[in-house]
Amino acid sequence: MPGRGTPEGTLDLLILRILAVRGPLHGYAVTQLIQQSSADLLRIEEGSLYPALHRMAQAGWIKGRWGATETNRQARFYAITAAGRRQLAAEERAWTRLAEGVARVLRFA
Amino acid sequence: MSWFRRLSNVFRGDRLSDDLDRELAFHIAAEADALEARGVPRADAEREARRRFGHRATLKERTRDADVLGWLEALVADLRYGVRSLGAAPLLSLVTILSLALGIGANTAIFSLTDALLLRPLPVAHPEQLRKLTMGSPDEDEFTNPLWERIRDRKELFAGAFAYGTDRFDLSTGGIERPAPAAWVSGAMFQVLGVRAAAGRLILPDDDVRGCAGVAVVSAGFAEREFGDAGRAVGRLLTLDGHAMQVVGVTDPDFFGLSVGRTADIYVPLCAQELFNGAGVLDQRSRWYLSVVVRPDPSLGDAQFLARLRAAAPAVFAATVPPNFSADQQKKYAAGTLGAEPAATGMSDLRGRYAPALYILMALVGVVLVIACANIANLLRARGAARQREIAVRLALGAGRWRVVRQLLTESLLLALLGAAAGVLFASWASRAVVGFLSLGPASVWLDLSLDGRVLAFTAAVTVLTALLFGMAPAWRATRVDPQAALKAGGRGAVGDARHRLGRGLVVLQVALSLALVAASGLLLGSFRRLVTLDPGFRREGLLLVRMDFGVAGYKDSQLVAVKTEALRRVRAIPGVSAAGASLLTPMSGMGWNEFALVPGYSPADARDSLIWMNEVSDGFFAAYGTALRHGRDLRGSEMGTTAHVAVINETAARHFFAGVDPIGRSFRLHGGKGDSAPFEVVGVVQDAKYRQLDEKPVPTAYVPLGQGPFAVPAATYALRTGSPAAVTAAVRASAASLNPAISLGVTTMESQVARSIARPRLLATLSAFFGAVALLLAVVGLYGTISYSVTRRRNEIGVRMALGAGRQQVLGLVVGDAAWLIAGGIVTGALLAFAGTRLLASMLYDVSPADPATFALSALVMAAAGTAAALLPARRAARLDPMEALRE
Repeated sequence: MPGRGTPEGTLDLLILRILAVRGPLHGYAVTQLIQQSSADLLRIEEGSLYPALHRMAQAGWIKGRWGATETNRQARFYAITAAGRRQLAAEERAWTRLAEGVARVLRFA
Repeated sequence: MSWFRRLSNVFRGDRLSDDLDRELAFHIAAEADALEARGVPRADAEREARRRFGHRATLKERTRDADVLGWLEALVADLRYGVRSLGAAPLLSLVTILSLALGIGANTAIFSLTDALLLRPLPVAHPEQLRKLTMGSPDEDEFTNPLWERIRDRKELFAGAFAYGTDRFDLSTGGIERPAPAAWVSGAMFQVLGVRAAAGRLILPDDDVRGCAGVAVVSAGFAEREFGDAGRAVGRLLTLDGHAMQVVGVTDPDFFGLSVGRTADIYVPLCAQELFNGAGVLDQRSRWYLSVVVRPDPSLGDAQFLARLRAAAPAVFAATVPPNFSADQQKKYAAGTLGAEPAATGMSDLRGRYAPALYILMALVGVVLVIACANIANLLRARGAARQREIAVRLALGAGRWRVVRQLLTESLLLALLGAAAGVLFASWASRAVVGFLSLGPASVWLDLSLDGRVLAFTAAVTVLTALLFGMAPAWRATRVDPQAALKAGGRGAVGDARHRLGRGLVVLQVALSLALVAASGLLLGSFRRLVTLDPGFRREGLLLVRMDFGVAGYKDSQLVAVKTEALRRVRAIPGVSAAGASLLTPMSGMGWNEFALVPGYSPADARDSLIWMNEVSDGFFAAYGTALRHGRDLRGSEMGTTAHVAVINETAARHFFAGVDPIGRSFRLHGGKGDSAPFEVVGVVQDAKYRQLDEKPVPTAYVPLGQGPFAVPAATYALRTGSPAAVTAAVRASAASLNPAISLGVTTMESQVARSIARPRLLATLSAFFGAVALLLAVVGLYGTISYSVTRRRNEIGVRMALGAGRQQVLGLVVGDAAWLIAGGIVTGALLAFAGTRLLASMLYDVSPADPATFALSALVMAAAGTAAALLPARRAARLDPMEALRE
């Protein structure tokens, strides 16, 4: 699916990007990383995170697997797939277009 | 792929839930760890982590939504709940499923009969391409052999063409006949239809040339019955009407010929007719008996094909003009045209006769189903009222109304599916039973009743419609609930509409439809009864009919009268036979012979007006049948086979042709193709007697002595009046065998012959009576249920009335009076419906008008009585109420 440029699309973009760069992570780590990377500007609600993770898993962009953390707890790790990488590229393009469009309106409107 | 995974996840239920729990539990634990690392005590950290996580149940649901197909999961849950729900009320569920089985089953049965007789295409290659040739209108579909041969030669019009004519062969070589249905076919038939052989080979074009020795192909069923299996049939010899013919092959088991409803057991090429009926039969230009079926050239469109047919017609007809026609008749003949009709569903003599009856039956069973649905709707509505609390709880917890309605509808669908499953079983039994019934007619009936796509689709559609019909209204009504009121401790709270209009309306509908059905069945029963008890002009009981075929024993034209009269003499000598007579034709045999009569002094209005029906009879014929002689004398034995042309006519003929004048001594001629006959002198007048059908109006009939008719017929039927048919049958067989062992005999009784001729009215009367009774029962049960429920709800009110001084009688009157309104409303509506609807029965009724007041009045009376009885039971219960108990409610 080409990039949607929606809030849902934006969330997917962030998650895919994190997973692409940092490798397989569990849900908690993803929220922590997004918070840190954005210097606390962005914070994902758990209520949106898990539905999004499961949805993307069903769509085939990420793949979930049970694994053990450093503290030897059982957690579900998600890794990006090839299809996910393609979707990431599409979402990045969509986001860039959106940002550019908003910037132009703000400048010229 | 993801769709499939989401589908299978619906059935992984608990494991999915556990996985999700663990995943979320980890997140909370990780958060708690992080907080603990910052110095928050463990217990507080965990609490804070959980709080931050948010509402877990909602989160779980939303996550789960991504993992499963929501609607399917809801459906599965509804079905599980529905099954538990039905199990909680087993009696109600059972009653409902049985009523549905009966209703849906009956509809499926009648539809599968309709499908088999009217809609199913022949089991041949590309039946939709086949066309039946006609001479203009669809009814003119029988051709002579010369016409067929001319048509066959016009090869440029067809990719394939063949001719087919039905007949009957006697397989015996003397003694009791063994009839087998058969067909004369042209050489190309099996090829054009693409029929395969199960053994041996089928008839080929080379088998159908003039002068052929004749071969036979048999059906698979026949081969099994006669020889054990198909393989053993090839090479065996059959005796067909005394002629030996070798079996060269067996057809595929699916193929039954071209006549839907019948099977052809033996197929013989057309050319072989010369062996049976003499040389020249193939050139007879007035013998119309062949159906011609073609596969048009596929490159031609329908309109083109018809145009070419019409263009070819003049040449075809001109070459086959019958020389014995008058100049006028010849001109008419030569102007004949050719047309074509679709023949994918083959031909059928049964169709015309039974199609209207089937439509009537479909309407009847449809009405029964509607009545059953109304009953079930009422039952479910009452049950819905009992489930008020459960539904109120669900609504209060946040379920949408539509969601609850969907769940209730799923329960209805479940009931309907279970009913349909049982119904299909019932239908397969019932439709076979009806075919068995139809076989009580003149010939046995065979229909392919296997379930095909159309029947299954029909059943599925009926099931879903039924579920909606009886489920929608109660479901809607049940969810129209104020949760607060329903949940109050009293429990009796909200009951929707205090006067429960829906329930009462349904009962009125049931009574109305029921009355209409009862009236219809009353009419059909009355009509059948009249047929059975009418006076046919002869005494049908105690009359044994023995048909003797002398042709297969080798007797030729000039010897026939002598042997027939000799046989009559012997048969009269049998002890136990009080009277005997011989004739060419018997009443209600399906066969007839008519001529145009030329009566000096009578000028006919048109050709039809001079039609007279004929029979060749012996002396003593009328005495044997019990037909009264009105004037003059019977025929004499000495007149048989002579040129002393005399005749006995019936009262109608006397009135019609000799109005007012005494016909004795007058004479008439028969107008025929070969010229007019010699004059027949009228010597007697007999009572009118039925000729072809029990329900016909009297027709002019003339009886001439044996051998004085224009054709030499090799068979005759002997009517023996006797009280001991079995013993006499044995004696007749012995007697015929001693005369000539090769004579073949067919034995039946006049009673059974008449009974067979009214198979259709019997079928309609029996089935409509059955369904009428079912409808009445359903309506009574429905009425009982509604009044009962009404009494339950009005206990308080009745208690008050009784406390204020009302006696038992008054309470009875109150309840029954309430019911009386419903019954009266139903009867009035029903009478109007019946009046409009029974008009459709008019063609099936004998001697009774579709609006017969006696039948309607009786039906109304029956309904009123049944309804009152149904209302009395709850009424008596109400009258026995203890006012103190009732008021405590």
